[in-house]
Order: sequence, then C-alpha cells, then structure tokens
Amino acid sequence: MSAFSAPFLPTLVRRERASLAATLLAPPVALAVATVLNLGLYLLIGRDPVAVVYAMLFEPFLSWASFSEVLLKTGPLLLIAQGLAIGFRAKVFNIGAEGQFILGAIFASAIPIWFPQATGQWIWPMMLLLGVLGGALWASITAFWRVRLNANEILVSLMLSLVAAQLLNYLLLGPWKDPNGFNFPQSVMFQYDAMVPVLIAGTRVNVSLLLTLALSIAAWLVMQKSFLGYKLQVGGLAPRAAGYAGFNEGWAIWLSLLIGGGAAGLAGAAEVAGPIGQLQRSISTGYGYAAIIVAYLGGLHPIGIIASALFMAALYIGGDNAMVSANLPIAAVRVFQGSLLLAYLIAIAFVRYRLEWHRPIYRSKP
Amino acid sequence: MLTNLTRRTLMKGIAATGLAGAFGSRAAFATDEPLGITLVIPSPIGDVGWGRALAAGLEPVKAAYGDKVKVTVIENIAEGPDADRIMNKTVADGNKFLIAGSFGYQNGALQIARRDPSVTVLHASGFQVAPNFSPFAAKYFQGTYLLGMAAATLSKTGKLGSVSAFAIPELITSINAFTLGAQAVRPDIEVSVVWVNSWFDPAKEQEAAKALMAQKCDVIFSNAQDTPSVISACEEAGIYAFNLNSSMKSYAPKTYLGCVATDWSPFFKASVDAHVAGTFEGANAFLGVTDKVVKVVDWSPDVPAEVMTKIKEIEAKIADGSFSPFAGPIAKADGSEGVASGATLSDGEIVAMDWHVKGVTTPLPK
Repeated sequence: MSAFSAPFLPTLVRRERASLAATLLAPPVALAVATVLNLGLYLLIGRDPVAVVYAMLFEPFLSWASFSEVLLKTGPLLLIAQGLAIGFRAKVFNIGAEGQFILGAIFASAIPIWFPQATGQWIWPMMLLLGVLGGALWASITAFWRVRLNANEILVSLMLSLVAAQLLNYLLLGPWKDPNGFNFPQSVMFQYDAMVPVLIAGTRVNVSLLLTLALSIAAWLVMQKSFLGYKLQVGGLAPRAAGYAGFNEGWAIWLSLLIGGGAAGLAGAAEVAGPIGQLQRSISTGYGYAAIIVAYLGGLHPIGIIASALFMAALYIGGDNAMVSANLPIAAVRVFQGSLLLAYLIAIAFVRYRLEWHRPIYRSKP
Repeated sequence: MLTNLTRRTLMKGIAATGLAGAFGSRAAFATDEPLGITLVIPSPIGDVGWGRALAAGLEPVKAAYGDKVKVTVIENIAEGPDADRIMNKTVADGNKFLIAGSFGYQNGALQIARRDPSVTVLHASGFQVAPNFSPFAAKYFQGTYLLGMAAATLSKTGKLGSVSAFAIPELITSINAFTLGAQAVRPDIEVSVVWVNSWFDPAKEQEAAKALMAQKCDVIFSNAQDTPSVISACEEAGIYAFNLNSSMKSYAPKTYLGCVATDWSPFFKASVDAHVAGTFEGANAFLGVTDKVVKVVDWSPDVPAEVMTKIKEIEAKIADGSFSPFAGPIAKADGSEGVASGATLSDGEIVAMDWHVKGVTTPLPK
C-alpha cells in the first residue's frame, strides 16, 4: 500500500527561515496576479479595464480628498485589529468585535441622546471613554463564561454580536428613536460638541485617528517590549510552560478580551461621534469582522497591522470608486477584493513554506 | 477638480500609448459632456423590488435623451458614511443629477444639495425639502386598499397577514388601507403584522410569512420586501400573496393576487426635463394613482368578476380624487377615534401616520 501513498503530490514544508526579499515581494506579486486575472473578468463583462484598475488601485492615493477617505476608513479597522491581535497572540480568539463595536457606539450615544442640549468640550472625550467601557463590558461577558465554565470564546463572542445588533435595533425602534424622525429607526442627530473635532480641515478625518496611531504604538510597546506582553505571548505559544512559570491563564483571557473589547468599543464611539453623527442601524459595515482579516494580514504585528489596515481601507475606497466612476457592479468589486486577499495569502504561504515533490517510491517485492 | 485633472491627464497618457485602444476604451471625454444621472440604492439590485422599480423608472429617460444622459446605478450601499462618500464622489465626478434611493441617505444627500446648487437631488421617502432637493414617495395605500377588497373576498379564515419592513408611516398607511379595503367587503376581517426590520433579509421574511400562516392567515401582503421570498413561500403553501413595486407573478404563477406597482418614469422624466431646462424646483412629491405612478397590475383571475367591477369603480374614484381610503369615520386599533365622520386625512397627516386602524391586531412597535 505504501508504494501508492500520494506518489506525485507535493507537500508543504516549512522553511527554516523566510527570506526578507520574498516577504517584501509577496504583496506586489499578489497584486499583479489578482489584477491580471480580474482584467479578464472586466473584458468579459464589457467594462473598460483601464478605467477600473485606475479607479480601484490608483485613485484612492491620487487626490487628497480620496486619500483622506482612506484614512477615515483606516481608523476603525486599525483600532479593532490592534486590540484583537493582542488576544490572538495569546490564543484568545475574540471573534465578536462587531458586537463590542456596537456596544461602544451605544454607550457613547447615551450622552447626546439623553442630554441633547449639553454643551462643552468635555462631551466627545467622555463619549469615547464610555465607548471603551461599553466594548469592554460586552467582552467581559465572554471572558467571564470562558474563565468560569470554559465556554468557547469564539462562539460566545460571535453570538453576542447578534445580541448586540438586536439591542441596537431595540433602542432605535423604541426608547432612543428620534421623536421627529417619522418612526425611522435612528436617533436624533448629535449636537456639535458631541462630535470628535476634525483633524484636517475640509475632510472627514478626525482627531480619533491620532488616538488610534498612538494606541498602535502603545500596542507595539506592550507586546514587543514589556513583561506583560511576554507573558501573554508565552501563554499563547506554550500554555503549559506559562502555567509552570506561574502565569495565570484566566488573567490572560480577561486581559485579552478587555483590551480587544475596549478597542472595538472605542472604534464604535469614534464612528458615531465622527462621520455618522447619530446612532443608526448601519453604524458598522462589518468592521468587526474585517478587522480579523486585517490583524492576520498584518502578521499580528502592530506595525504590520498599520500597513494592512491602510491596504484594506484603500481596497474599500477603491471598490467604491470603481462602482461610481467605472460603472462596475458591486459583485465584481467583491471578486476583486476577494481574489486579491486570496492571492496574497497564497503568496505568503509560499514565503513561509516550500513545496516538496515526492518522487514515487519503488519498492522491490519481497 | 484636482481628481478630474489628474485622471484625465493619466487617461490621455494611456490612450496616447495605444493601451486604451487595445482594451477598447470608450471615448469618455468627448467635448459635449452628457448629463450624469446617478441612482444609489441600499439593496442589491434584483430582478424585482424597490431598486429594480427605481432603475426601470430611468429607462424612459434614457430612451428620450439617448447619448445626452449617462445613467449609473450604484447598488447595495449601506446608509451611513459609505453612502455619503459615494454620493460625494459621484457629484465630484461631474454627475449633476442624483437619486438617493433610501430614507437613510437624507442627511448626506441634503448636504450635497446645499453645497452645490447646480446639482439636483431626488430623495426617497424623506421629509426635507430644498430648492434643488425633492423628497418623493408613493401613495401605496391607494393600491393596497384595492387589494384588501380582493383579499377579503378570497379569504376563508377571515385573517390576513402582512410581512412588513419597518414601522414607518409609508408602510403603516399601506397596512391600514389594506385593512380598510378588506373591511369594506367583510367588516370582521383581522390583519396580523410581522415587522422584520429589514428591507432585504430573505430568510427572515420567509420565516415571518410562515409564522403568519401558522396563525391561519390565508392572504399575505409582502410589504416592501426587495425579494420574492414571501411570495414564493406563499405559492408553496398555496395561499394568496401580493407585493409592492414590481410584479413577482413569475415567482407565484398560481397564487399571485396582484402587484401595487410603482412606475417612477413620469416623475423622473419630468424632473430631468426641469433640470435640463433649468426650472427645477424642490417640492414634496407624494405621488399616486392620479399621477400614474401607482398602479395595480397582474390581478389574479381568481378574483370574482362582480368584485373586480367594484374594485375598478373605486380605482377610478381614487384616480379622479372623489374617494380616499382615509375618509372617516375610522377607529384606531385601541378603539379611540382616528378620523372623525365626514373628515378625510390630508397628505400631510397621511405621511405622518403613526397608528393602526381597528382590525390590525398586532400592536405597533413603540
């Protein structure tokens, strides 16, 4: 039998070390492959491929107006991904950032909804703080059941996202509905002081982007330079060793989820107090889930995540541009984004692994 | 401006090298720029439903203007920052006529209209008006009244149901008129409602339809769904169903009761004409049978001839303005007086209706 064991099939073998050149080359190669594949698709559906590629890949960077939108979109992706990556490295898989984002938005909205007449520069910082609190509280439910009952945190956090969406629906259809909004499920528009100040005049980029960058640096310091980060990582890589060293697993779970939840909650607060300006149903277009991809694309490294968040944001903005300027249907935009991610993951796999072709093994009959 | 310039320069550069020619690039930068018309809708554009009805309404505009207009339909855009960006981008690209196909686009679209008086905006289901900004809505209730008459005739159980999207006045009035039309034929009729809180959620809509069937409802009104899910579930169960906007008869060849169709082309055509002539004036466009925007089509052959005659009589009276479904006396669901005897609700009162008539057994979500 063994003579037939996959004679010509290759197997993946982990490289001793990934070469730096290959690591740097992977993204442009992936981009080139995906672009060429999709050019064929655009020809097939009768769109102008040059216009599409231009709108999708170049336009986001070629004007300040477009690039500021990329930065705006980077904010929540970056913030959530940084928070999640800390947990992922400790092997705590918080998949429910979407729900924590929503709770952050809800907590932050409480001030302008309950005190629509309030004024003062304390309002928006307080809202951001409440957002952190809301997200962390929501994540603590998952932490509690994980530590107490060993309930799977992936399932608990994911399902709590659905609960969060219903909580938002309840508030918008009931107590927090705008009394003058003709029964539409949305809150009042927030007052001026409840909005995070704009950072760059003429754009929608606000001060929360600075906060996000500062927190990214903090994440880097904590994870790479501090004993706390070391303990978290050891807990993820070798839980038993961590246990013998006296690192408490429950403590690591709590910390991971609170950081992830707090970051997602802050992102939610910055979104309602930023470009949206009210609480409504579609406050998140899946940031909590997209951030998981961002975290892994960035290699769970704080600096890598900054790059991957920018990249994902540019992809979104480029996709929107292609719909507007090149008349591309949304399905084709999704295909491009999907094939680009797929090509990148394949490229990265080849950076880390190599193919080994097994020659057929001939055995003499006994 | 900057975007346009760089883009043109680059495109020209590409064209000069012959690349664009090789890809079959359109001559997009002719000297006589066509009027750019952009339609933005929240759901994926299907074969049927709200988005399809709006897109179809632009066909006669295209036919009339030919090369002088360029129509772009952008689908599946969540209400919020993404929608704002896309609408801004389309106007920055030089499109001067914007149709914002969802209530939730109101704030972003209104900002565009205020910023640039040369842009004309039509906005679905809203209440804000500006010199270059018209909200538009259909008087669905005129059609659902007629279908209520047919439904009551065909119902054996005396119970009717409605799967409804959001508890907004537009949909509340269509349920109320449906109930009143049914009571005109059979006074003891009862109507149950399930609110799914989504414009587009096939699974939830189908479940809601099945829940209504379990309550013995044997005619179901699919109130503002963008999918044929309810209609096809009813066909399977062998009970009558009807819907709004565009005909779904092909999904229920046996049990399709009819369609309260909307034909936006008279309104779109008139608005584009006015924009081109420079005479556009923003106004609240609340359009119905008289305006040839609302019409009932694809009546089921099962409706008895004498009932059909009566329905046609009422339809003619609605068209010439001598009959309104909301003529008193009408009692509210809680038993109090809704419309006094001899009084008739004005358009203004209808667009703000936030109560159900007696006979609707499901309380309105508060």
